[in-house]
Amino acid sequence: MRVDFVGKRAGLFWLALKTALLTVLTLGIYRFWMKTRLRRWYWSAIRPGGHGLEYTGDPLEKLLGFLIAVVVLTFYLGIVNLLLMFVSFSVFAASWVGYVASALGIVPLLFYARYRARRYILSRTRWRGVRFGVARGAWGYAARGVAHWCITLLSLGLLWPRMTFWLEKYRTDRTYFGSVRLVQGGRWVMLYPATIPFVLSLLGLIASLIWIFWAMPVVPDWVAFERDAQRLFEEIAAGGSPVIDLNAPWRLGLLPFFAAGLLYGAIHYRWVCKRILANNKYAFGLSLQSRLSGARVAFIYVFGNLIAYLVLISGLVLLAGLAVRLLGLDLAADMLGAIDAGELVLPGWIGLLSFVMLYLLIFALWGAAYSAFVTFPLIRHVARTTALPQTRGLSSISQRARDDFAEAEGFAEALDLGAAI
Amino acid sequence: MSKGFDGFGACYFDGDRPVPQEVSLHIASGVLQIGLDDGRIIRWPVKEIRRLPDRAGRDRTLLCRAGDPLTRLEITDQEMLGYLPAVRRRVHSVRRLRLLAWGLAAVAAVWLQLLYLIPLLSDRLAEYIPPEGERALGEATLEQVRMALDETGMGALPFCDAPRGQAALDRMTERLAPGSALPVPLSVSVLDHPMINAFALPGGQVVLFRGLLELAETPEEVAAVLAHEMGHVARRDPTRHALRSAGSIGVLGLVLGDFAGGAAVLFLTERLINARYSQLAETEADVYAREVLRQAGVAPTALALAFERMRAAAGVQEDDGEDGVIAHFLSHPSLSARIEAALRDPLPPGTAQPVLPVADWLALQSICEG
Repeated sequence: MRVDFVGKRAGLFWLALKTALLTVLTLGIYRFWMKTRLRRWYWSAIRPGGHGLEYTGDPLEKLLGFLIAVVVLTFYLGIVNLLLMFVSFSVFAASWVGYVASALGIVPLLFYARYRARRYILSRTRWRGVRFGVARGAWGYAARGVAHWCITLLSLGLLWPRMTFWLEKYRTDRTYFGSVRLVQGGRWVMLYPATIPFVLSLLGLIASLIWIFWAMPVVPDWVAFERDAQRLFEEIAAGGSPVIDLNAPWRLGLLPFFAAGLLYGAIHYRWVCKRILANNKYAFGLSLQSRLSGARVAFIYVFGNLIAYLVLISGLVLLAGLAVRLLGLDLAADMLGAIDAGELVLPGWIGLLSFVMLYLLIFALWGAAYSAFVTFPLIRHVARTTALPQTRGLSSISQRARDDFAEAEGFAEALDLGAAI
Repeated sequence: MSKGFDGFGACYFDGDRPVPQEVSLHIASGVLQIGLDDGRIIRWPVKEIRRLPDRAGRDRTLLCRAGDPLTRLEITDQEMLGYLPAVRRRVHSVRRLRLLAWGLAAVAAVWLQLLYLIPLLSDRLAEYIPPEGERALGEATLEQVRMALDETGMGALPFCDAPRGQAALDRMTERLAPGSALPVPLSVSVLDHPMINAFALPGGQVVLFRGLLELAETPEEVAAVLAHEMGHVARRDPTRHALRSAGSIGVLGLVLGDFAGGAAVLFLTERLINARYSQLAETEADVYAREVLRQAGVAPTALALAFERMRAAAGVQEDDGEDGVIAHFLSHPSLSARIEAALRDPLPPGTAQPVLPVADWLALQSICEG
């Protein structure tokens, strides 16, 4: 059974822009509706066997979940952070200890929130009228997540694939479609091939660092170079081309090359792991197959982000120009340098308000561009490269009960996890 | 009167098994009849049929019946939508009361935290921070300030420490000491920067900027500003402020979320909330400063002179710019009010003594020329 993807980029872009504008106008409240509407669109565009998925999540339940999370988390974030800061000041006489402790304290909560968010999203996903679902186990997931991170750190990252596999297995083995449970098969060592681009780039980077700075330094005589640096800069600034004693300086170009390789390696690992894991997932009478391409995903990330950031930066430059023109240079500089600038006079706060609105509008455009040029092609690629070779089991599946949990993805939302989409 | 529709490609999902069933579709007397292959006919009143919103791909439309969360009908014949009068109504029902209750609880929790719990707790805890910790914190913050203000990009903003100027500054600090009753030893320094300002940091650090020394025309004005900053030290305002923002930034970030440009809104809101406390803190530091000046035999009206001169230098004529919306974002209360308060508080005639001899004042003014 094939998975189709329908839906046009333009349609999505308008939906994303419209909802982002409403989010801006409502000071963020509409974001629950924005998320819901975008998910409905994406879900319905993915059509395994010709029938679109259905997203049944409700914006109001997201709002409710968020409110619940706020009630619980404000006390955690407010009081606990304050106490940590106090201890940090009084025992260690520095603030960084407090920040680190506060960040570490939130790690288990992040795992917890991720699991809950996934459980919420799948429980609100249907295909052919039948619900997906995830069993309880968020705290178990948090405990395992923390333990696996510790092991991975202790092994200097060598056991990373082990963490990826076991955490995915924990999630998958608790996932249901109707009455049937999914199983993650395979072994953790099967993920090592996905690390190859990353490992090669890392080795290349280390080797070239040794080559450039130690074995055969680019600057053979550093002391002399430092002594003459001032004079050399002046000569270059004056348009001259002084002779600098360098040893094959072209090798410096290796560093950005391998750094880009590291970035590609990270994307490759994340998505190729998804492919390998998907190819080893099955349920009774059902199997999954993926032909996802790591290179294609990296291409989407790079070019999609390029377009989205071009939109953002050109918008901000335009806005800065407008501010200078309309408000005068001094005032614009004051506003950009924070409102702290003392007692400043404004030409009425309508000017300020429209400036703020324009600023937020640019972020709305950026969000819409990101949806259209990153999320859209990514989901389309994943959908089109996925298939269900075996579907015999479908006829023996029946509906599962509704998973009625109040807080929706409130914790994930409140902690800015974004829940992937 | 019956109307038939093209059932090709349409299918019915019974909400139990993930298996599509082929259908024939008719509307007769306000009821949609969904005929299944096994001879059963499902009847949905057209007024109860809803369309699921925001779906991609116009070739297929998903319908459901109000009140029935599970069964679905997928149609390909778009003409049918014209016969369904209520397709655009909401699909889900809302439990408003519950939403309202949690909404109120969330607002109350945030309000309680930001305006009462966090300030109260930070005020209490600030008393218990040991002096060494406070001092280290102040020094670290001072380093950050020096780094941030340095325009050459080559390191930290230098101190002004010409020996005679520093000695004069120390004498001025001693003159003010009798009435001050500070919890920590004071350390006063001058930074080489044209800004007309001064600030206090945790652990008794008070920093004056060169710009302030250049602007002042009498040593009394400098002493007045110094006394004001000592007021902040006495109240431990900088420490309390650091603790308070550690708590309130977290809470605010949580509430405002990550919607477009949220960081700017976060910044403004934090200011708005803190401004309320710092306005109070400024007023109390003024009161403290007037008392310290009086005990040292310096006319508290010097504070008014200093503020007057700062206002003139900032180019603000009257108060029209700072009483509107913007005033709420400023951490300092209206300057006019502070000037008036200081002017109401003169020394008895003939009791004032110069805070520094002329030679010391000249040395202080050239502290940056060492």
